[in-house]
Amino acid sequence: MLGKLERPGRTVIADFEAGLGTVMRLEGRPVDVVVVVVEPTSKSLEVGRRAAEAVQAGKLGRLVITANRVRDDEDVARIRAAFPGLDPVLVPDEPAIVSAERKGEAPLDAAPDSPGMKALVALAESLLV
Amino acid sequence: MRVAFVGKGGVGKSSLSGSFARVLAEAGERVLAIDSDPMPGMAFSLGLEQSDAGLPDDAVEEYEEDGRQRYRLREGLTGTDAVEQYAQRAPGGVHFMQLGKARGPQWNNRRQHFGFQRLLDDLPGDGWSIVGDLPGGTRQPFLTWGRYARTFLVVIEPTPASLLTGRRLARLAETARAPRVVAIANKVREPGDAERVSSRTGLDVIGSVPFDPALADADRLGKAVLDTDPDGPTATAVRSLVQTLQKSEEQS
Repeated sequence: MLGKLERPGRTVIADFEAGLGTVMRLEGRPVDVVVVVVEPTSKSLEVGRRAAEAVQAGKLGRLVITANRVRDDEDVARIRAAFPGLDPVLVPDEPAIVSAERKGEAPLDAAPDSPGMKALVALAESLLV
Repeated sequence: MRVAFVGKGGVGKSSLSGSFARVLAEAGERVLAIDSDPMPGMAFSLGLEQSDAGLPDDAVEEYEEDGRQRYRLREGLTGTDAVEQYAQRAPGGVHFMQLGKARGPQWNNRRQHFGFQRLLDDLPGDGWSIVGDLPGGTRQPFLTWGRYARTFLVVIEPTPASLLTGRRLARLAETARAPRVVAIANKVREPGDAERVSSRTGLDVIGSVPFDPALADADRLGKAVLDTDPDGPTATAVRSLVQTLQKSEEQS
């Protein structure tokens, strides 16, 4: 389905199921970019590393690592060590985003000027270039 | 006791199920912890190093039936044998079996996937408590990966997305005629959160686990919270949950 949605001027954003199943089943090149979202926990970084390996080995598209809920320099070091050379996008851990999630609000509506949202806006703009 | 932890990805199933298994073992029970998620998870919360090892290839044999490839445990190997031979030993004496972990593009896990399901059909019985950590989401938790459970614990955060998954799991449980399905409210921050989980899902909430920065720290380090903060809020809540379930098992 993803491979058939392409139209001039259209951008398709798919939110995949957790884990690697869907990424591992992608065949051909139905996407331009795979954004691998991780948290700075051992488990999440391990899953993210496997996803990144699968994307790179399968040549599935451009790989962007986005680290969510980043608290401090130790988190940043842990994330960078897990993905050497990939320059991950860092989204800070923010109470405003936690609060928006609890209320079922879009973080972009609830906290548009927060550092986390600014990081995601910058990522989106960089992908459109 | 045979329980399986289900719920949306990221709600804390692995952290709670691993801690739950350890607490049961502390209480003197013989515990088998089963991780059916093809992604790494439960090992960390049990206090084990992560490995990809599942059932070895030679534990599973392929055969043909009605023109289709099928898989079973090799001749003479029972589920109990497989647990004794291949389970890792976690702290507290917990036996740990996991589905082999996914790696690489176009990963083929047919042998591992169906071999592990045969193991689930023949788990050790009397004298064992079984604690399962299932993959996230709503895909066939009751009839496939959780087929051995007598109680399903739906882990739910008080967020709309997690509540919606919880409600869908509750409906699926009715369709699948799952034996007993109850909820655990996780990452609770406000007094009304557990009630909100109950009212939005229709499930009885049998335990409530507070949002715990110590758990986030343990997860960051890849450690079991029972080792890093053995008397903290998460450990205390899980001990209470274990006691609640033990009492309800005794009464039933």
